[in-house]
Amino acid sequence: MKLTIERAALLKSLGHVQSVVERRNTIPILSNVKIDAGDASVRLNATDMDLDIVEAATADVSTPGSTTVSAHTLYDIVRKLPDGAQIDIDAAGDGQVVLSAGRSRFTLASLPTDEFPVLSGGELPHQFTLSAAELRGLIDRTRFAISTEETRYYLNGIYLHKAESDGTALLRAVATDGHRLASVEVPLPAGAEEVPGVIVPRKAVAELRKLIDESGDEVAVSMSESKIRFAFDDAVLTSKLIDGTFPDYQRVIPAGNDKVMEVECKSFADAVDRVSAISSEKSRAIKLALSGGTLVLSASSPEHGSATEEIEVAFDGDELEIGFNSAYLLDVTRQIEGEMARFTMADAASPTVMQETDDTSALYVLMPMRV
Amino acid sequence: MQLRRLPETLVNQIAAGEVVERPASAVKELVENAIDADATRIDVTVIDGGQTSITVSDDGIGMAPEDLSLCIERHATSKLPDDDLIDIRHLGFRGEALPSIGAVSRLSITSRTEGANEAWCLNVEGGRVSDPQPAAHPKGTRVEIRDLFFATPARLKFLKTPRTEMNHVTETMKRLAMAHPAIGFTLSDGTRRRLDLAPEQGELFEARLGRLGTIMGRDFADNALLIDAERESIRLTGYAGLPTFNRGNAALQFLFVNGRPVNDRMLYGALRGAYRDFLASDRYPVVALFVTAPSELVDVNVHPAKTEVRFRDAALVRGLIVGTVKHALAEAGHRAATTVADAALGAVRTGGQALPMSRGAGRYGRFPSSNPSISPGLSDAAAQFGAPLPGLAAAPAAPMATNDWAPVDEAESIDDPGEYPLGVARGQLHATYIVAQTADGIVIVDQHAAHERLVEERIKRGLAADGVARQGMLIPEVVELEDAGAERLLARAPELAEMGLVVEAFGNGAVVVRETPALLGEIDIQGLVQDMADDLAELDDAIALRDRIGDVCATMACHGSVRAGRRLNGEEMNALLREMEATPHSGQCSHGRPTYVELKLHDIEKLFGRR
Repeated sequence: MKLTIERAALLKSLGHVQSVVERRNTIPILSNVKIDAGDASVRLNATDMDLDIVEAATADVSTPGSTTVSAHTLYDIVRKLPDGAQIDIDAAGDGQVVLSAGRSRFTLASLPTDEFPVLSGGELPHQFTLSAAELRGLIDRTRFAISTEETRYYLNGIYLHKAESDGTALLRAVATDGHRLASVEVPLPAGAEEVPGVIVPRKAVAELRKLIDESGDEVAVSMSESKIRFAFDDAVLTSKLIDGTFPDYQRVIPAGNDKVMEVECKSFADAVDRVSAISSEKSRAIKLALSGGTLVLSASSPEHGSATEEIEVAFDGDELEIGFNSAYLLDVTRQIEGEMARFTMADAASPTVMQETDDTSALYVLMPMRV
Repeated sequence: MQLRRLPETLVNQIAAGEVVERPASAVKELVENAIDADATRIDVTVIDGGQTSITVSDDGIGMAPEDLSLCIERHATSKLPDDDLIDIRHLGFRGEALPSIGAVSRLSITSRTEGANEAWCLNVEGGRVSDPQPAAHPKGTRVEIRDLFFATPARLKFLKTPRTEMNHVTETMKRLAMAHPAIGFTLSDGTRRRLDLAPEQGELFEARLGRLGTIMGRDFADNALLIDAERESIRLTGYAGLPTFNRGNAALQFLFVNGRPVNDRMLYGALRGAYRDFLASDRYPVVALFVTAPSELVDVNVHPAKTEVRFRDAALVRGLIVGTVKHALAEAGHRAATTVADAALGAVRTGGQALPMSRGAGRYGRFPSSNPSISPGLSDAAAQFGAPLPGLAAAPAAPMATNDWAPVDEAESIDDPGEYPLGVARGQLHATYIVAQTADGIVIVDQHAAHERLVEERIKRGLAADGVARQGMLIPEVVELEDAGAERLLARAPELAEMGLVVEAFGNGAVVVRETPALLGEIDIQGLVQDMADDLAELDDAIALRDRIGDVCATMACHGSVRAGRRLNGEEMNALLREMEATPHSGQCSHGRPTYVELKLHDIEKLFGRR
């Protein structure tokens, strides 16, 4: 295999691919990226056995072929080469890959290509297309709520499934860590009528998110019960799905909450941020006291003292006092792009629903904190 | 196959299996009899670890000849005068020991009552009883067991080496002796005395401390806190060791209920709870505690060897132990064990070969003359003391020393260390250790450990004052346990809620967790609840939850405290010392390691051979 590639093209593709590769591996080949040179293009492939990414880049291929080299080392080298450099990659097949650019020359150890694991394709019967904006919305507005507690593995991802609301078929993404929940929906795309409910793991979500911004407008999604694939213009990301049952989240979204507060989102977020400066660093508790048209935010800690701030809200209901983890509140307000946010509450012990007033496609449920 | 009644001898042999497990249990039964007989002196001789012979003689009230023949009958006892199993005032009460021992050995009992003309002797051999014979013996009783277990060869085979059995006997004797300081005890193995404990004089506490010191070592007496508390007619007395005076196992934890040594899990759990904030989980405090409860509140009749007891109100006893011991430790404040200083002295290298005396000698005069307490032998510090002192000396600066020794400016330091237990800061070594001068010695403080402890105490006070904030669970977590575990957990639900964990029943053997302590963040609830159920079963305390909250506090404290390597000025150092004096438990970090070492002047003088 012998090829010449421009630094910028290689760096961009390699940047996506190498982040899938774990820093430490017990299987040596998993540290490597597979370089596959065809006619006029090169395909880079990396995997951690659960997540597989293939990205294509244009290159001047003189001898087609393939090889594998350490992903992180290669990335490190390419990153440090000067802008605009032309990189020659030459794998003579003696277990070594020679990389040269300008007056630099690197000889890298290589492992045989046939050891490189292939994430077996299998059938992916359900195929549909999402716009990049829709996919971005589904991910961005839910991923903050993904659980990090490994014992509840079935919460360690985004639950993507088909749903229905007022007769409209929807594709919905839900994530929860047991304390809060985020649910975002888009109209069900054609081809997704029969999709099973699947849980996309956290790492796949993170890699996917990086790819969206640098790709075209459309993403082709295909999935089966155990795998999901996202195809962009140049890149294809395939991930195994979490083999577990996502809890029946519908039951915890309260329907009967009758105390509705509307607040200007930005000023609310800023107030929460300010007041929480005083609350203790681990529990981050903040209290919301509602009475008439005024919301009083307060926090106190034995070490730092106390803080209160008042903001104007639209609220009609009995007085209410409710505590929250301020970090959770800020996580939600960060997702709200519109001006106004609506809080639907019942009491200090029951879940509160938060939504953007003008955009009901996203819904957040927050469990209060008892202080 | 036909049913039949077992012969009396066999019945006694079976009973003996329960009561007399090894020579030490026979010794225990006999010594308890002697104690019940109001003896003031009890002599025990055990030969070949008890296999050849065990002799116990006392100067108690003795037995008349007719009692002698009765005492080896099963269930014959003088200790339940009202046939009331509730009101038990003696160590023994079942009337099982002597017949059991008699059934498996060659037993001879010689006894004479006060004022009787002669003593009487009775022999039993494998359950066969002879008639009492007149014999010669002073007032009291002498019981001799020969060939223990000769009638039960199986049991004989399971005996360990004489040495091991002797150690068990010694342990048993020690425990009994601790509970009865007014009685003199001796234990001999036929050639030499293993124990020789004279009766202790004086009032109970003094006598007891004397006896405990003899048995557990002088260090214990110096490092123990007096415990004396009473709650609802249950009294707790004894001594609890300082946390820094700890051990790697529980061998030096002695618990007594109504004068009876017990091995009770609930009581050990209470102890662990009391010391939890001050010791790492693999270190054990040294304690001797005596619970005195009216006999109707405690049932001792639950274990063949009576090493377990049951309290009518276990939570009360538990609360009493945890509360009292914690209170005593809090009052001890910043005290660290004297053994810490001993250890430090042990580590000091004497001899001048490593000390740059030629350079240092000229500088010595620059120390305040009232400051002979700073020892040049403290290994790490030594070289630095010999070096020039930039803050005090106008002498040419020696570059090597400036980084490591930061003396307190004389003008700003308080000159009278007498009024402060931890003294007045004189300087900082290696930007890590504060050296302070006290009225009669020096104190070396590990600044990070000390400050970390202060911050942790502050965080805990905050938690205690405000309560633990609880984060509600959007999706309550159901945890499957076995029935008993779930019940135990639910019985403690109000207490757990105070610590931030709200659990409710969820059908048979399952609990549902509704709220968790907010400061733990997202946690492995299944694991936590399982651990707590195990803790409750084993130690009767939800240690797992406390530990995790404690860990978070400790981590916050670690991040929020002054690190080693941070230069402190004199005022900062003095402020730290004053705060340590004012804060309870500041003498040790949460793992039981000391935060400071105190060396007395006379210790230092010893190092230099001045004494």
